[in-house]
Amino acid sequence: MLAKALPVLLLLIGAPAVAAASEMPIFDAHVHYSHDAVTVVPPKEAVAILRKAGLKRALVSSSDDAGTQKLLAEAPDLIIPELRPYRRRGDVGTWVRDEDVLRYVEDLLKKHTYVAIGEFHLFGADADLPIPRRIVQLAKRYGLVLHAHSDVDAVERIFQQDPGARVLWAHSGFESPAKVREMLRKHKNLWADLAFRSEQGSGGKVPAEWREVFVEFSDRFMVGTDTFVPERWHYVPEHATFSRAWLADLPREVAEKIAWKNGEALFGKR
Amino acid sequence: MVLAAIVGATAIAAALGLGEGDVRRLTAHGPWPQSPARDPSNAASGNAAAIALGHRLFFDPRLSVNGAVACATCHVPERGWTDGRARAVGLTQVERNTPTILDVALHRWFSWDGKADSLWSQSLKPIVDPREMGASAAHVAKLVRSDAALACLHAKAFGAPRDRAAVEPERALVHAGKALAAFMETVRSGRAPFDDFRDALARGDAEAAARYPAAARRGATLFLKSDCHVCHIGPAFTNGEFHDVGVPFALGGGRVDAGRFEGVKRVRADRFNLLGPWNDDRSGVAAVKTRHVEATHASFGQFKTPSLRNLLHTAPYMHDGRYATLREVVRHYSELDMERIHTHGEQLLRPLKLSPSEIDDLVAFLESLTDPTAARMPARPSISGC
Repeated sequence: MLAKALPVLLLLIGAPAVAAASEMPIFDAHVHYSHDAVTVVPPKEAVAILRKAGLKRALVSSSDDAGTQKLLAEAPDLIIPELRPYRRRGDVGTWVRDEDVLRYVEDLLKKHTYVAIGEFHLFGADADLPIPRRIVQLAKRYGLVLHAHSDVDAVERIFQQDPGARVLWAHSGFESPAKVREMLRKHKNLWADLAFRSEQGSGGKVPAEWREVFVEFSDRFMVGTDTFVPERWHYVPEHATFSRAWLADLPREVAEKIAWKNGEALFGKR
Repeated sequence: MVLAAIVGATAIAAALGLGEGDVRRLTAHGPWPQSPARDPSNAASGNAAAIALGHRLFFDPRLSVNGAVACATCHVPERGWTDGRARAVGLTQVERNTPTILDVALHRWFSWDGKADSLWSQSLKPIVDPREMGASAAHVAKLVRSDAALACLHAKAFGAPRDRAAVEPERALVHAGKALAAFMETVRSGRAPFDDFRDALARGDAEAAARYPAAARRGATLFLKSDCHVCHIGPAFTNGEFHDVGVPFALGGGRVDAGRFEGVKRVRADRFNLLGPWNDDRSGVAAVKTRHVEATHASFGQFKTPSLRNLLHTAPYMHDGRYATLREVVRHYSELDMERIHTHGEQLLRPLKLSPSEIDDLVAFLESLTDPTAARMPARPSISGC
């Protein structure tokens, strides 16, 4: 009997342990709670996971928005709502040309309060299509941050459309630290989330090229889990632990800003 | 006349309706069989007495705590060294499908999550797993000491115990793992219909290549066109690494199978890993992978790329045995749920959107990778004097 490997049982109750009071709070800037997650991890369980992970706040968007509203109702102190322009996650590749998405967003903006629109996927010249342009305009009108999973080109086009836009760059575009720094230097209203990235803190150590950027722009980075499938909700505590480990390799003041103060500053004061 | 049929790669591709580069890519899936190198981390690798001891232990239910579960309970030779179940059952049911041990000597990491970095360290885990065989190191030591045939083979394989330390429980457990590994290294599959096709392509023998069924040939080109060969690479049709191919990994009840993410944590913490005291490789080379392996966020929910050889013997499929047939597996990729794939995760993956006939062709190709003789009981090795 070779390999009926013991699967890893990440029990909701009991493990991981409740975050110790002394642990660094985390503002998780990249949480999704989409239609299937609501079924697999009901709101009470989801909130329990976030609290056990020691999250101070979570920026949550969902496909569709019902998930965000359910979580917000469950824990208004914890959940910061953003509006994702997707009715299902499958809209990721089609929303830029879908008029119905625009109507969906406009209706919800009238109905609920949000701090951001996103996370949306937008690349290259697609940013100049009519629907993304309208999204940028809506963000300006409602005073919302744009949470963009985008390449450099699309981020530049957003700022060309609205130089006053505030953009949270999801995954920092999966760009190199040098490119992220270049963009942060160029755009004072650009923030950078580090979701689904491991290299900036692998093994609890921050490489020199990342350290320089974090110190120079300590007030512009945030961490995030990216719960892109329901199972990843059980990764939120692991991600918080991972984040605390590498943040501990930075000066305390820098670490606190990236861990939670930047999120609070941009989104938390509602 | 035979010489007249020998043609160049371009000509044979044209004759068989293969695309540009297909011949080169298909021939990269051979030759077969491969001869695995001896495992330097296991001094018993290739040792005849250790192989004989491993063979006996593999089929011996006394290795389990209740005397009812053997390695072969789940790794049944006649079932392609699996059990035909979706999820394995030892002392109790576990959450994963039993992987075949055919050609396991070619692997780099072991188990669906790669929680073991050597075949011998993987081999001892089920013995002490309370859900599988539930035994202990002391139990193994007692069994090997008390059975004359096992003790004899053990002495020949590992040397006669000179003092008490030689039969200390942990040493006995490791020896059992190394003997089992030595045996399993001999469990190899032979040639499949595809291999004849591949070799015919390699030597430019259009006539022999044309004997490969047309459906399988069309399936082979689909396999390449769909980029399946990027992960299912080489003669064993696997890169031996870990991927998230959109298969759900929730277990229910607020539990998930974190796959490779937890596998990395476990292999690094494993007392029996290649960084530990039981590694026989003094060069340090074998342990390099373990020293440097790191989990990333993407590791969560990744599982090992299985070999595509001998699939006809090893149903059901995927890490949790969710698909009973190859057709279901192909449909998974044909209708891939992109909502489960991270945009910057497995970027190769996209729904293949295959027609029913294309699904038939791809299945025909996969079936042609099976050695029809692989699912059989091996002969029991004998060692003189034991």
